[in-house]
Amino acid sequence: MDETSLIQSAQKGDLDAFNTLILHYQDTVFNTALRILGDDDMAEDAAQEAFISAFRSISSFRGGSFKAWIMRTVTNACYDELRRQKRRPTTPLEPETSDGEEMDSPKWMADPNMTPSEKSEADELEHAIQHCLEALPTDFRTVVVLADIQGMDYTEVAAASKVPLGTIKSRLARARLRLRECLRGFEELLPASFRLEGENTL
Amino acid sequence: MKNFREIELLSSYLDEQLNASESKRLETRIAADPELASVLKDLRDTRGILRKLPARKAPRNFTLTRQMVGLKPPLPRAYPVFKFSTAFAAILLVLTFAANSIVPRIGMGAAAPAYGYGMGGGGGDGTAMQEAATEAPAAAEMFVATEAPSADAPFAEMQPAPSTDNGTLREGEQAPKDVAPESALQNQAPAQNEAPIPFTWQIILLAVILLSGLAMWIIQKSASRKWQ
Repeated sequence: MDETSLIQSAQKGDLDAFNTLILHYQDTVFNTALRILGDDDMAEDAAQEAFISAFRSISSFRGGSFKAWIMRTVTNACYDELRRQKRRPTTPLEPETSDGEEMDSPKWMADPNMTPSEKSEADELEHAIQHCLEALPTDFRTVVVLADIQGMDYTEVAAASKVPLGTIKSRLARARLRLRECLRGFEELLPASFRLEGENTL
Repeated sequence: MKNFREIELLSSYLDEQLNASESKRLETRIAADPELASVLKDLRDTRGILRKLPARKAPRNFTLTRQMVGLKPPLPRAYPVFKFSTAFAAILLVLTFAANSIVPRIGMGAAAPAYGYGMGGGGGDGTAMQEAATEAPAAAEMFVATEAPSADAPFAEMQPAPSTDNGTLREGEQAPKDVAPESALQNQAPAQNEAPIPFTWQIILLAVILLSGLAMWIIQKSASRKWQ
């Protein structure tokens, strides 16, 4: 069954059809939420909320990119989650050392299929990127996550963020600029091929 | 230091968002300006690093259940009929209660001035009492004649109220005149308190509500069992 037929069935209330769409998009949705929120548990909650909300409002989907539409739902769910977090601050997800300090490296999130050195490198890089992403304002972070991490084109990002194309271009440029500055602080963690050049180029 | 407009152009160029002529112009400038080329490389590397970020697998399936989205089982066609009859009977039942409690009060309200006048109520001083005493028989006659003709007609015929035209009344005649309005009121009270809608109808409506409600509950349960 193709995506259009699944969407049409879901619009008629077919939950099984919608669940098929969920299975197709759940990794993308979870990753988007994870990069925007920077927390596994919150990302899980946001992804689940996004799918529930998407099913309830699927009748309002009027064609176009379903990926952009579902991304808008997850983006909204992430904003809701961030607002909730602001109202009720929680303890950090990262485990603490015996001294009560946060662990520097997120080794506890490692993929078991990697070699120890790969694991270490990937963890360090992921941690550095996530750190820099979280330093961005939420609107910039959303745009950069959708465009650069999820690989969506500008039109899709504009549809998902509900902002004009010009704003997307501007936010993306600013976000990349800030990320570049931030990542420069983690130069030693970056793979050689991605080492950023000169400090005073801009 | 490049201005932001140039950086935005480079960022859009990187994502192939510029049209052919804009791209051509920018490429010419990049070729001539090593600083611009260096910024472009930085932006490209930044984007490359972000793209290198490992994609995580969803920790679990996010598939939805019917309970999660509040989907209800499809109900048979008869269900709305029971729903409507329950609601309709409930409304009627409330109306019967309202009618039974309001209608007698309206009757009492209309009769109230006659009561007060006939019984000499409303006045506090002796003058008023005396006036009432002299006017009472006529008022009582009026009350008896207008309010409950059927119940009191024989009584009125048997004991016609003496006329006050002669001016003075004998002491012995006072008693029957006072008794006549009171007994008329006593006879009248049950007629006014009688409910306009019989109790039987209320029982029937209550039965309809209960039976329809029960039918709805059974239908719902059976539909949920089939749904699961």
